[in-house]
Amino acid sequence: MEEKDLSIEETLKELESIIEKMEDRDSSLEDTFALYESGMKMVKACSDKIEKVEKKIEILSEEGQNGQF
Amino acid sequence: MASVYSVTQVNSYIKNMFVQDFLLNRISVRGEVSNCKYHTSGHIYFTLKDKSATLSAVMFAGQRRGLDFQLREGQQVVVSGTIDIYERDGKYQLYAKEIKRDGVGDLFERFQQLRNELEDMGMFAAEYKQPIPRYARTVGIVTASTGAAIQDIMNISARRNPYVQLILYPALVQGENAKYSIAKGIETLDAMRPDVIIVGRGGGSIEDLWAFNEEIVARAIFDCQTPVISAVGHETDVTIADYVADLRAPTPSAAAELAVFDYRQFEEQLQVIREALTRGMERSLERKRYQIEQCRMRLLMHHPERKMNEYRQRLTDMEEQMTSVLDRRLLDRKHRLALLGGRLHGLSPLEKLSRGFGFVTDEAGARVESVHGLEPGQQLDIRLKDGKVTTQIITITG
Repeated sequence: MEEKDLSIEETLKELESIIEKMEDRDSSLEDTFALYESGMKMVKACSDKIEKVEKKIEILSEEGQNGQF
Repeated sequence: MASVYSVTQVNSYIKNMFVQDFLLNRISVRGEVSNCKYHTSGHIYFTLKDKSATLSAVMFAGQRRGLDFQLREGQQVVVSGTIDIYERDGKYQLYAKEIKRDGVGDLFERFQQLRNELEDMGMFAAEYKQPIPRYARTVGIVTASTGAAIQDIMNISARRNPYVQLILYPALVQGENAKYSIAKGIETLDAMRPDVIIVGRGGGSIEDLWAFNEEIVARAIFDCQTPVISAVGHETDVTIADYVADLRAPTPSAAAELAVFDYRQFEEQLQVIREALTRGMERSLERKRYQIEQCRMRLLMHHPERKMNEYRQRLTDMEEQMTSVLDRRLLDRKHRLALLGGRLHGLSPLEKLSRGFGFVTDEAGARVESVHGLEPGQQLDIRLKDGKVTTQIITITG
């Protein structure tokens, strides 16, 4: 679970650098488009990483089993 | 009659009694603090009380070294100093040299001792502190299953991000067995590998919070692989758990804010990024379109048809020029012709004729210019401008 979380942060950093590269006037249209595509994929991945289901709190019993609040 | 004394004398006498009393010169008094005022001068004025009596007290600024905590209403303390009388108003007071906490003073010392011990062992050291993850998806909580703490955490967590999974280990948070319960809670949750764990409870007295000062809890936090946020009591309550934790939150609510990221902000951030990517793409396309347009225009400039048109234009111009030159020359010639014609006409004998002159010839048609050789009766022809006259000479003069 920790790796997934780090990758949201890292993904956001990557996206920042992609946007910077896209602003470079000298890059070719193909490169820019490749950056755009990969950037959009990453944004979607970030969004997907959060499972959009509202979750109820889990309560453990003494033995570590789950219950509901 | 009994002697009559002045007020000053009486107060002075009583003062003397105080000064000479060994017990009052050096006394420790136990009581509860009330009416505590920190004066701007640095002096602290307060009252010590117990069930049935009160005693005024003061600690002057110069004695403040004898106090190492914030004096507050309701605290149980032991004040050491001198009881003396202020002659001017006849009131006696406890002049404090040292103030220590009592009852819980014992606990407080134990707290300080353990804190120093664990600090020396390096358990509070910054290098062991882990960063709290920014996008946690599961949050473990060790606290009581009832009470304000868990409610606050749940409310704030739901408000910020309803998609986060909270896991509560319901622990005892005060009493003899609390320390075991809390430590077990931390271990149990750690094994489940959430992204972060909150350990804490709501406000209370130092005895209520004591479990969070226990070594077994400190070790559980230290050994925990998951980052731990401590949230014990109110803002001013500091426990050993707070020192060992990776991050201290002043309250359980604050802990929830630190552990749970704001989902709406996250979504907004992603949206901003999407827009930046799109803009970047659009700008790039615009730039290329512009470059292409530039090229297109330059190509058009050098189009063969354009060259042809240019040549045609030049030919037409040259034609016009030539025509105009020829026309001029022609006109020129015409003028000269007319001029010469005019002159010729002027010199023409026929012109002379038109001015009244006649052209004279004899019968043979030979021109007659002089009277010499002419005889009367000779026939002469005279040509005038509009006809010929045949004449005969009558007389000759000359």
